[in-house]
Amino acid sequence: MKEEKRKVYYLFSPFLRIFHWIMVLSIVVLFVTGLLITKPVTVVALEPTATSLSMDWVRNIHFIFAFLFCASFILRIYGFIVNKGDRLFPRVWEGHFYSETLDVALHYGLLKYRHAPFLRNPLARMSYAGLYIMVLIEILTGFAMYYMTELSNIGGMLFGWVNVVLGNEMVTHWVHHIVAWLIIVFAIGHVYMVLRADLMEAEGEASSMFSGVKFLEHVPRDANEVEPAKDAD
Amino acid sequence: MEKRESLWDKCLRKGISRRSFLKGCAALTAMMGLSADKMSKVVEAAEVKPLPVVVWIHGHECTGCDESFIRSASPLASDLVLSQIDLEYDHLLSAASGEPFEAHLQEVMQQYKGKYILCVEGATCTKDNGVYCMSGGHTFSHMLKEASANAAAVIAYGTCATSGGIQAAAPNPTGSSGINQFVGSTPVVNVPGCPPIPEVMTGVVMHVALFGTIPPVDGQGRPKQFFGNRLHDTCYRRPFFDAGMFAESYDDAGAKAGWCLYKLGCRGPETYCSCGNLRWHEGMSYPVQSGAACIGCTNANFWDTGSLSKRLPGYGPIDVDTIGAGLAAVTAVGVVAHGAASVVQKKKRDAAEAAEKKD
Repeated sequence: MKEEKRKVYYLFSPFLRIFHWIMVLSIVVLFVTGLLITKPVTVVALEPTATSLSMDWVRNIHFIFAFLFCASFILRIYGFIVNKGDRLFPRVWEGHFYSETLDVALHYGLLKYRHAPFLRNPLARMSYAGLYIMVLIEILTGFAMYYMTELSNIGGMLFGWVNVVLGNEMVTHWVHHIVAWLIIVFAIGHVYMVLRADLMEAEGEASSMFSGVKFLEHVPRDANEVEPAKDAD
Repeated sequence: MEKRESLWDKCLRKGISRRSFLKGCAALTAMMGLSADKMSKVVEAAEVKPLPVVVWIHGHECTGCDESFIRSASPLASDLVLSQIDLEYDHLLSAASGEPFEAHLQEVMQQYKGKYILCVEGATCTKDNGVYCMSGGHTFSHMLKEASANAAAVIAYGTCATSGGIQAAAPNPTGSSGINQFVGSTPVVNVPGCPPIPEVMTGVVMHVALFGTIPPVDGQGRPKQFFGNRLHDTCYRRPFFDAGMFAESYDDAGAKAGWCLYKLGCRGPETYCSCGNLRWHEGMSYPVQSGAACIGCTNANFWDTGSLSKRLPGYGPIDVDTIGAGLAAVTAVGVVAHGAASVVQKKKRDAAEAAEKKD
């Protein structure tokens, strides 16, 4: 067995990790219940009134998880404040960001064997920024539909403009749907990229969302953004 | 300028008792969607406010809103036109025509400058200099600008006037749009619907007539008392929705039993109107009650947001969920292919790096 010297980098605070898994659960539940709300399944039963699918329940579960998801952003924001490693936005204001993006893209395009070492590579950072934008769109369109039961209450005033901007509440539904699917597309790509990173570099990509740490052989380009590394035991 | 009568003056002249007058005011208060404690204000207004002068013009439309209007039961449209408002000019209901009629409009606009209510039905069209909708030698948008500049308030009746309606549906050959952008700074109240409910039409004009201002409106300029509720939330079939009991087609047992029409493309969940509580024809029925899914006729661009019998905007048999599932499937296939290629890549890399070390 080949011996490798690796360093341990502490990245993700427990707040971010808990947020991440709440997000995973919420997205799964919201996606499934959301599809059921749009196209309720027909339950064939002898007694039609004894249906096992109660739209009321499905809707309530959807709303409960929507609120849970929104509330969990408190953890994300707190982690962002207290822990450097939680700050994942793409550093587009730094010139080397673009050359590094190209470098990673060439590797993902199977044109280079390796890309420069990163704790969080620029393409991944951009995809996370994209995810947060998509989640924001879901929150805005979701509440725009949810609060319309009473237009003049606080929720109606905060989110009613979304329907006006989109021109028609039907369009709000449409946007809510297509972005939900885009989030699923992101999730497929995200899970794959994490597993692939573990296959190619074995830096503890998947386990970092449980332990908070990654193991790197070389000094990563973005090492200065987090706490100094420790030697692996 | 002769003194114009108030509603109470009119009652006195016609020998209508104070009691009947007050009863009428109570009905009017309820009909305008106001709470009972506003009744004293209504009585006060009806006693002293002169009957409002109304100018009613028609643009690019089918006059279906008028068909609806004349079926108003409380107040009766005939009562409203003959005794509660002073309808000076109406393209559709006037017996007069031609030059004298147009001259009368100019007269009214001068005489009651800043005091009359302008009711507008129909869209404006601007393509090819607006030649597709003209009256009295002028384009409709010219007439609209002129009439609205001197009006106290503008009431836009019907989806055509609020957002263009069927004329503005794709590809919109006449360049039609709603009237809001043509009326300048005059306050506008939007009363969408194809057509609006008769009592909503009369209710809004009576509100403006009695209080001299437009009623409280929402973000889209619609009076809150009539457009504050989503049809889905006021629908008497809502319990069937909550229980998951849906009609699957218009001829199945569910449809016969009066179950929820959600799966047949009902637009109730996106539509704001009074159909669920006021209903039509003296509360007799409304589309969903008659077994037809709501088409969302109070919504801007409702003709263009997909098939009227589908839940979501679609493109033929494909809807947004099909597109999404397709994207997800393509991604999954791509991921598997990329993963296989990556395994091969890793083997090649390890071999190359091992060879490098040997050298």
